[in-house]
Amino acid sequence: MRQALVLAALALLPGIGQAIYFRDKVSWQSPIPASEMVTVAQARAWDGNVIWVDARPDVEFERDHVPDAVPLNEDRWNELLPQFLATWSPEKRVVVYCSSQSCNASREVARRLRGEAQLKDVFVLQGGWEEWLKSRK
Amino acid sequence: MAEIAKVKFAWRIMDLVVGGVFIYAGVVKALQPVRFASDIDNYKILPWTTSVGLAFYLPWLEILCGLALILRRLYLGGLSILTALVLIFSGVTIAAKVRGLDITCGCFGHASQNWSFSGHLALDLVILAALLALYFKVTSENRLQNAV
Repeated sequence: MRQALVLAALALLPGIGQAIYFRDKVSWQSPIPASEMVTVAQARAWDGNVIWVDARPDVEFERDHVPDAVPLNEDRWNELLPQFLATWSPEKRVVVYCSSQSCNASREVARRLRGEAQLKDVFVLQGGWEEWLKSRK
Repeated sequence: MAEIAKVKFAWRIMDLVVGGVFIYAGVVKALQPVRFASDIDNYKILPWTTSVGLAFYLPWLEILCGLALILRRLYLGGLSILTALVLIFSGVTIAAKVRGLDITCGCFGHASQNWSFSGHLALDLVILAALLALYFKVTSENRLQNAV
């Protein structure tokens, strides 16, 4: 028990150090700033000014997807990114979705689009594909 | 005598493999704490603030416990913590599956992103079995020494 406590205490030191180092790179309040999230209704209101990006695996995209959505998942990032960029234009907003509220892929793809592709106006769809399906009914 | 040496060597290899697995898992997550925070958050059990705190803390705990197994310092402490972590992780993975959550475990960073639920669980059980074997081996050794 004493050994476990020593290890648990020792792990705090690099953990705190890393938290200080990353203080500007992560928000402790929310996983995604509210300004980077969008609801289905909001995204629909943008109408023709949106590029839908499907971050789900290829199999799910092929089964069904938001009309005119472009597939862009992390499995085939290098292959799909050029295809996405060919459809992208600066005046369009990008809305990324994955399967549901709990999935992570849309956040990651949005983060990479902002970071690696240097795009602005990239949003994550609240509730993902599940929410889109509900709104379609 | 040679037989005993072989058995000791096999246990030592097990220490190295299990310790190495946790060091690898810890380093991969320590390199991408924000991503790991998202992975923890996906389980929808803890508030985001706690997920971020754990994302900074747990990888280092895994690394230190892995090192404890390899270096045989604070050995029992390392084994106990790692066993508890694997048990907790298996529990929350099963709970997430039952709740129908579509999650990536994040246990080995990007490498484990597409692992199936059964794949996660099988690996957890193998690691858990190895940890328990090491635990019982070392505690029975200690008991023998105390008896002598």
